[in-house]
Formats: sequence, C-alpha cells, structure tokens
Amino acid sequence: MINVQDIRDTARDLLAKGEVRAVIGYRRGSRGMLAEPAFITSPEQADELVWDPTCFHNLSLYLVHDRKFLDHIRKNPGAPVAIIAKGCDARSIVVLLQEHYFKREDVYIIGVSCEGTGVLDERKLAPHLNGAQASNAAFDGDDFVFTTAEGEKRLQAREVMADRCLECRIPFPKEHNAVFGEDKAGRQMEAPFAALTRFEEQGSGERWDFWSHHFDRCIRCFACRSVCPMCYCDECVVDSITFPVTTETTAEDKANRVRWIERSAVRSENITYLMTRAMHLAGRCTDCGECERACPVNVPIRLLNNKMEREAREQFGFEPGASIGGPSLVASFLDSDPGDFIR
Amino acid sequence: MSEQQVYEPRVVAFLCKWCSSAGSDLAGVSRIQYPANATPITVPCTGAISPMYIMSAFNKGADGVLVSGCHIGDCHYIEGNYLARRKMQLIMELLEFIGVEPNRFRMSWVSAAEGAKFAQVITDFVNDLKPLGPQEKLKKAEHS
Ligand code: SF4
Ligand code: SF4
Ligand code: SF4
Ligand code: FES
Repeated sequence: MINVQDIRDTARDLLAKGEVRAVIGYRRGSRGMLAEPAFITSPEQADELVWDPTCFHNLSLYLVHDRKFLDHIRKNPGAPVAIIAKGCDARSIVVLLQEHYFKREDVYIIGVSCEGTGVLDERKLAPHLNGAQASNAAFDGDDFVFTTAEGEKRLQAREVMADRCLECRIPFPKEHNAVFGEDKAGRQMEAPFAALTRFEEQGSGERWDFWSHHFDRCIRCFACRSVCPMCYCDECVVDSITFPVTTETTAEDKANRVRWIERSAVRSENITYLMTRAMHLAGRCTDCGECERACPVNVPIRLLNNKMEREAREQFGFEPGASIGGPSLVASFLDSDPGDFIR
Repeated sequence: MSEQQVYEPRVVAFLCKWCSSAGSDLAGVSRIQYPANATPITVPCTGAISPMYIMSAFNKGADGVLVSGCHIGDCHYIEGNYLARRKMQLIMELLEFIGVEPNRFRMSWVSAAEGAKFAQVITDFVNDLKPLGPQEKLKKAEHS
C-alpha cells in the first residue's frame, strides 16, 4: 500500500533542493470527494498532495501545456518538472518522449503503482450510494472506502473501478525516476479488451445502430481532444477554427483552406471527426480513459481507441508507450505486416 | 430513382501516379472495357494517402473508395506502400467496426503494365457495390 506521506516527502524534498521547478500532482478538490490537479511550486505546499481512487486525471496533459503555453514564464527554465504518474499516464509520457515533445531530462516522473486496484469510475459508484454523496475516497487493499454522511461505505474496488483498470495489463509506471507501490503486473481482473470483445460479438447492423446513435449525440465540444495529452497539435485538421490567422492572412487564403469537415455538429461531420481522431491516436493512445470521462454526453470513445489498440497489437505486434526509443505505429512497418486484404 | 433505372455506384479511386494511375491509362489506351463508375484521383504515392481522404470521400457521397498503388517492392519511394498497407488496414478495420459494409473499401496493387488487372479490379468492385445500394451512413446530409 502506498503511504501518501512518502509522495509528499519526495515532492517536498525535490522542491526544497531545487531539483524540480514544480510538482504536478493531485490535491483535494472543491467538489465532494474528487481530487483535482495541483501545481505545487514551494515545499510547504507538498502536504496538500493526495493519492486516492479519484486521482483519475492523466496529468501528462499539463506537461504538454507547460511546454506549449508556459514556456515564457518559467522562473527556472533549466530544472525539470516533476509529475505524479500512474501506469497509463507514464506510458503517455513515454509516447510524448518518443515523439520528442520534450526531453527525458525535462521531466521527473514520480510513479505510483495502482497495485491491486485502479481508479474509480464515478458512473459505477452512484448506484451503490443510494443518493448519498461521498466526501472522501480511499484505497484499502483490494477495497475502496468511501466516507458519506451516513458513515463509511466499503466496496470491492472491482465493482466500481474504471473498465480500463479492470482490463489493465500493466498497472505500473515502468518509466520513472522514483516509484511508490508494488508492481502487480499480471493482476488483471478482466481479459484485455474484454469490453471491446463483448461489443464486437454483435453483428454489423447492431454496431451501426449503436454508433450512429452516439455519432448523433456528439456535440463536438472537443472536450475529448482538449483533455488528451496526445492531442497536442496547434492546428487540428478537423477543426478549421484552429488554423492560424495572422495580419498577413488574406480573405482569399482563408477561403482556400481545405476544410475537411463542416463545423456543424451533425452525424456525418461528427463521424469524420471521431474516426480521424481515432486514427491519429492509433499507437499513441495509452487508454488513460480521460477522453471518455470528459465527454459531457458519454460517447463511448474508449471503444474506438481500444479497437485501434487491439488491431495494432494483434496485427503488428505494437504496444503503445512501451519504450522511448521504439518506432511509431504508422511511421514504421514490418515485412510480415498482413496484406491478404489487398487484391 | 425510378425502379427501371439501374443504380450506378460512385467510386472514388486514389491511384498512385507511378503504378496504378499508369495502369489505368494502359487500360484506356488498350481499349479494355470496364465500368465508368470510378473517379480517379492521382496521388504521388499510396503512402501519401491520409485516412482522412477516405473519410472525406465517403463524407462527400462516395459509395465505395479504392486505394491502389505499386506492388510491394516496387514503390517509387521504396517504402510508401508498406506504410499505406498498415494505415489502410487500420482505417478499413475501423470502418467495419462502426458497421460500414466491408465491401465499400478496397485496396489493390496494380502496376503500370497491368491494364487488364486495373479493369478487373474496377469491374469487381462495382459488381460488389451494386447490391449494397447508395452509401448513406457517412454521407453529409443534403441541406434542404
Ligand atoms: S489503466 Fe492501469 S495504470 Fe491506468 S489507472 Fe487503471 S490500473 Fe492504473
Ligand atoms: S465525443 Fe464527447 S467530448 Fe468529444 S466532441 Fe463529442 S461530445 Fe465532445
Ligand atoms: S485518446 Fe483518450 S484514452 Fe487515449 S490517451 Fe487520449 S485521453 Fe487518454
Ligand atoms: S509510388 Fe506507387 S505506391 Fe509508392
């Protein structure tokens, strides 16, 4: 079991010695039991850090923000930034490193193992609480313990864990500078891609009924893109509003830009957006689950990403975020790649 | 469409300049008969085809999309078609996954010398598309 005090001590120490310029971690949020991302820059703040089942955010998003938006205000640009990372989060940092988004020495990874559990799926918790609000959540072995006004509620973690955690193959951040908790790789509670496999048992017609329903519901708020550490492009090919406009840009330039899709949130355009996004994340998505969690209308985005992940694994033997020096999925090939489908 | 009219599927064909596009020219100059349903779009290499092109063609009303290039080992840019083979497999799987009929997407290798093969690929594709009827799933709705 991880003692949160160890994480705080590490953060305090790193900041006190000036070895890092900030620590990105979790602290208690203002909304009930939920943790929220925290940016700690002085040793005294280290005691604010928490580690509990609501630490679901993939904080590597803020490494991207740090490089993208905050570059200019860095006080100590030489020092790295420390980040608390679960297994899936650490794998997205590896993908960012693989893509040379920043350098290994720019980041200090404080790894946390999910050990025998994972993070909470809030949607699964509600039915267990019968309308009560939880004010705190804590790990306890294979259980999660929630504090409510009616007292303590203990649940087996597997009943309320996120699907991805149930299926997680490696709940441990292999890439790290410091790490807390045991490596329990292999503790898997469901077969990898179990939810995907169940979904695929349906016929093509049922699959279309399911997806067309969800494609209709997407409001193209782009929350899934905003929350994803891998969606770092300044110009997003499926969103013409992101194309840069400077004082030099003429009306003609603007008119002549390729607008691949319309901005209206209708089925055909939403499909093109979500399918293109799935393709752009193939081999890069580490199934951190943030896109699906951020979606305000519960579009099951994870299924699309999972489908790509499984194809990459089964057809090309590819594992996202496995090693910093490894090849990227779509910029590499093997002579043995399947080609039977080609006439 | 009246019942007597025959449905003619519209195919968007992304052809690499060096092989399949030349193959289609050969089919033409050799006066091989094949259906006129394909709109060719010449690209420098299959490796340059973004999955976005496929989605976009369907979005704009294609009933079927064909990607065709040089045989493995013959790519003018050495490895473009190896990269295409991976990317196209992924988009093909994804289309099928959401419930699009697998026969709406096709890939082939057609060299500059294979005019007859090009004609056959198009003929087969059109024959396979006919029973499926118009593609409505990914198509942009007409504004009334
Ligand atoms: S997916 Fe794995 S590494 Fe990520 S939070 Fe869940 S159990 Fe932990
Ligand atoms: S899938 Fe969800 S989060 Fe993404 S754009 Fe659509 S509504 Fe927004
Ligand atoms: S696509 Fe979703 S699950 Fe994958 S890395 Fe991005 S936010 Fe995480
Ligand atoms: S040049 Fe024809 S596939 Fe690359």
